[in-house]
Amino acid sequence: MKIKAREGFLGALAVLLGCLVLFPLFYGVMGAFKSPAEFVAWPPTVFPRSFGYLKNFETVFTQLPMLRYFWNTLVVSVFSTVIKLVIALLAAYAFVFFDFAGKKALFFLLLGTMMLPPDTLTITNYQTVSHLGLLDTYLGIGIVSFVGASQMFMLRQHFLSSPKPIREAAQMDGCGDLRFIAFILTPMSLPLLLTLFLQAFVIQWNAYLWPLLVTNTNEMRTVQIGITMLTTVEGTNYETVLAGAAVALIPAVLLFLFLRKSITRTMSGGAIVG
Amino acid sequence: MSRSIASPKRGFSLKPYLFLLPMLAFAVGFVYYPFLKTCLQSVSTVNFRGEITGFSGLDNFQYLFSRREFSIALENTVKLMVINVPVTVVVTLALAWLCSNPHPLHSVYETMLSLPMVVSMASISLIFKVLLNPSVGWLNYAFGLNIGWYEDRHTAMSGILLLTVWMGIGFNFLLFLSAFRALPKDMLGSAALDGAGKFRTLLQIQLPLISPTVLYVVCTNMIQAMMTNGPILILTQGGPSRSTTTLIYLMYTSGYASSNYSLAAAVSMAAFGLTLLFSILLFMAEKRKVHYQ
Repeated sequence: MKIKAREGFLGALAVLLGCLVLFPLFYGVMGAFKSPAEFVAWPPTVFPRSFGYLKNFETVFTQLPMLRYFWNTLVVSVFSTVIKLVIALLAAYAFVFFDFAGKKALFFLLLGTMMLPPDTLTITNYQTVSHLGLLDTYLGIGIVSFVGASQMFMLRQHFLSSPKPIREAAQMDGCGDLRFIAFILTPMSLPLLLTLFLQAFVIQWNAYLWPLLVTNTNEMRTVQIGITMLTTVEGTNYETVLAGAAVALIPAVLLFLFLRKSITRTMSGGAIVG
Repeated sequence: MSRSIASPKRGFSLKPYLFLLPMLAFAVGFVYYPFLKTCLQSVSTVNFRGEITGFSGLDNFQYLFSRREFSIALENTVKLMVINVPVTVVVTLALAWLCSNPHPLHSVYETMLSLPMVVSMASISLIFKVLLNPSVGWLNYAFGLNIGWYEDRHTAMSGILLLTVWMGIGFNFLLFLSAFRALPKDMLGSAALDGAGKFRTLLQIQLPLISPTVLYVVCTNMIQAMMTNGPILILTQGGPSRSTTTLIYLMYTSGYASSNYSLAAAVSMAAFGLTLLFSILLFMAEKRKVHYQ
């Protein structure tokens, strides 16, 4: 009986702490429903007077081409994540199913990319992308995230655990490498690929500094940059800013709530690699 | 590499290299090449187009180190790291420890506590901007505080720290949680039978066993703290009066905003060198203490 009571208390405490952690988000979403008058009124409140005031959300989409920003971010996040995974999968395939000179060195060369923090490389990468004429393009935004060393590592671990005879049998039947990858290896790794896709997608969706650097024109911005521009358009409209922040959160948070298990599954595995 | 399930075939084949080519090309083009170029630019004179015009030895570094801006940025960055890392580790470790026992509500609080990891830096920065605003924000009012937060040079860094700690909760919580869960159950059971209390079990059995995860979290958070720039860009632009200027923010302003590429390269090399130095120190200190199973 005593143990049960304590267990109940610990559970309640954990939920309470969860509420505390999520409070800023809650505050932000609530604030998005306030009118400007409510915002400047004293004392400050958490809850809006009603949830019927939707003008802030309207402003988010009319003040800036926010729908276009959503589309930009979606396109960049999907295509760069897909390319990242395809590239990682091909590399993992080479490391698992072939023996070749320099294998170990190349493996560590690729894993070594994780040691160099991308933020220290932004200025020089900006010069490269600018020379390639890729400023203000989807490719320019996505190209620096094509290298996924941790994704490559996890796919390699996964392939290593696959039964060896599969590929030999496939080869015996005259199945080439690309067909083997497309029709056997990929379907076999689908759950892992989905997990890796979701993680990389969310990271790309939330990216800020790089998209800010390489986009100059108004139409090419991404959502994350768009919402920070709401502050500068006409002074600071706190309620509009909060509505923007809330809207930008929706896709990643929804993905997380529905697919939490698959988004978080390989995290601890990836952590060991570093 | 001993671990491979390749068929033992003799003779040279170009195939594996072709499969590796795309990843190698992008790793070289967008990681190693810019890194080497940064190294090179940091010891050269560079024009506004990013072209190297001559060798300058350590002049850039000398110039950088002599500037007040740099020592302030360095101090701010180290301050951020020294406070952010231990706070994040203790908070998330405590949360994960609390949540590590099975409980009917576990998926509820796990979802709540790990959710911050998918929240974008831009969104949460803007929310903190309003929440901590001295005139319309709720925080000061609720706790009866009179703090200027991002508008006051004495408190701006505390506001940034509050935000960066919040941003680190989700992912680190999850890492610690799975580390706790992976510990063998019978070991904890026998510790309990031996009369070891919860805290003794944590300190003497669980913590040593999860020390590789702790080390990993310390390292990644250290690098992240060293790279802090997003919240600064959005909330304070390095101010008020440079109180939140970090190294990477300085790199951004000198490289991107004023096209002083050699200076930006020198700042980025300094940030990279510091990260490396701290990682090495950490690994040396932990070498004997970390318990790898």
